[in-house]
Amino acid sequence: MYSDLFHALPDVFAWTNFAAVVIGVIAGIVVGAMPGLSATMAISVLVPFTFGLEPLVALGLMAGIYNGAMYGGAIPAVLLRIPGTPAAVATTFDGYPMAQKGEGGFALQVAVVSSSIGGIASAFALMLLAPPLSKVTLLFGPSEVFWVAVFGLASIIFLLGGNPVKGLISACFGVFVSVIGSDPIYGNDRFTFGQLEMLDGINIVILLVGLYALPPVIDLLETPLKTDGVNSSKLGTEPIWKALPRMNYWKTWLRGSLLGIWIGILPGAGGSMAAFMSYNEARRTSKHPEKWGEGEPEGVAAAEVANNADTASALIPALTLGIPGTAVAAVMLGGLLVHGLQPGPMLFRDNPDIVFGFMWQFLFGAILLVLLGGSLATNSFARLLNLPRPLLGSVIIVLMLIGVYSIHGRMFDVYLMLGFGAIGWVMDRLKFPLPPVVLGLILGGFAEENLRLALRIGRGDPMVLFQNTTSLILVALTVAVVVGPTLKKRFIDRREKA
Amino acid sequence: MTESRKSRLTRPETLTAVGIIVVAAGFLVPTYDLRAISALLPAAMLIGLIVLSVFLLLADQRKASAGEDAAPMTKAPKRVIGAFLMIVSYALACDFVGFYVSTAVTIPLVAWTFGYRSPVGLLIATVIVVGTIWAIFDFGMSQDFPTGRLWGR
Repeated sequence: MYSDLFHALPDVFAWTNFAAVVIGVIAGIVVGAMPGLSATMAISVLVPFTFGLEPLVALGLMAGIYNGAMYGGAIPAVLLRIPGTPAAVATTFDGYPMAQKGEGGFALQVAVVSSSIGGIASAFALMLLAPPLSKVTLLFGPSEVFWVAVFGLASIIFLLGGNPVKGLISACFGVFVSVIGSDPIYGNDRFTFGQLEMLDGINIVILLVGLYALPPVIDLLETPLKTDGVNSSKLGTEPIWKALPRMNYWKTWLRGSLLGIWIGILPGAGGSMAAFMSYNEARRTSKHPEKWGEGEPEGVAAAEVANNADTASALIPALTLGIPGTAVAAVMLGGLLVHGLQPGPMLFRDNPDIVFGFMWQFLFGAILLVLLGGSLATNSFARLLNLPRPLLGSVIIVLMLIGVYSIHGRMFDVYLMLGFGAIGWVMDRLKFPLPPVVLGLILGGFAEENLRLALRIGRGDPMVLFQNTTSLILVALTVAVVVGPTLKKRFIDRREKA
Repeated sequence: MTESRKSRLTRPETLTAVGIIVVAAGFLVPTYDLRAISALLPAAMLIGLIVLSVFLLLADQRKASAGEDAAPMTKAPKRVIGAFLMIVSYALACDFVGFYVSTAVTIPLVAWTFGYRSPVGLLIATVIVVGTIWAIFDFGMSQDFPTGRLWGR
């Protein structure tokens, strides 16, 4: 089967197919950099336009947009503390403090190189692991998937910072928001209060834009106008080849790539979780964890490598089993179907040139990120901070409205976003961490659905959740994540006293 | 530093904790009408929010007892309220008047109100932003925007 991989290569280099990847990467970076717009939205809009295109042109555009957007999300995350995509939330933790210290250019360069490395690793994983891993993912039942979600939520503990009560309140709020809408099994309404717009639940983009975009806009307008706007030279921008020797994050890149690939393969988890877990692990193993959150470049590297490592790998279960690993992968499945390509083992047998060509396009898209993303990021997007703050604020308000309105084409979502924005502003000012809200929303419904499925399989017996080795390993990991920091702190305190 | 507020019950964290308790308790009511399995997770989260907020409340009041002052949430409350009101007004204007008119007015209005006083810059920025939105979203992507309920469209 691997010989088909190289047979597909000439098709990828056909100029139309290659140009599609280039255009896709640039478009993806632009879309990712615009808060409220996402790769999912861009690809959803694109799919109807690809009816008349050759499959590899259409798939090249999608692969390029996906790769570009996952990196593009880092640009406003670094410059404005507004994650352009949900997966870029963890990038704000150290990227924004770096920009404030005048190192925004270097932060963007770390982001683009890390994104590229993650994307390359992910494309190789897709090429090499798709057929054999289909058997492993088949072993995951609802109880294992439930524990994966619980493990993801438990890892928030690392992000809680000084006040665990506030972190837990944030997480509970996020999980609660995730259950709003129709019950996934019985279909009865939960907390919709008769609003038809809420039957499908709260779209994560609405919450993200509200929580992450509105408070910074208020900040922009609250602070009196300063005429000495940050310019690109103050961002510390230098040619990317000069910056490369300063990036010695190989361990973080390797760990983040592996985590991202693994999370990508697991259905439903996605780039946000990969970035959070990679960030936590890198911080946990850092020699200077106290510097994290204050502008540590390795934090940007950890988040970005993982959220890009999840891109192609999310297609492993999607292409082999028809189970999308992420929302973008689900939209891409739709794109494949438009071209008559039915995901599953038969896809590899019947259309090897297209499926393996698609994999190569992911690889070249990731490589192109450094060339296209690097120059765009450092030369053009860095100038964003030169805009007068009130003007920038008013433009972001408009972009927020467009982004949220375009999800379903209704103003109800905009009002909902403003409500979340007010909550986000209060949380921000009182130092409630925002990431647990987002992770709670991402994993809450996912955990509930699989828990209930597992309980139904076990006829209501909760012991069904502990009846296999994989589940027990995940439980042990979850306990270690929750208890580990406390035990470690006590151990260090005792040793210092001794 | 001693408590500067007249009542320690008006500390921001105390007010927030009370607010969460009241809202979470309110949301608990509809869970009684749900099937047990449907209510399990939301009820657990709401009860969790109530219990955690009680902890937050007690911790904040303990700080107040110890004479620790709570920092104000903003140093410029008028600007913050003004910003919120302008954003809400913009959303309402889009809904009732229409997207393009509201946007063409809001961009210069917000920027001017909050300190950017260059008429030429405002004009150029408004034309560029509105024009780009029209070109990309309306013309390029056939994206529909609110046309205004007042006009019955």
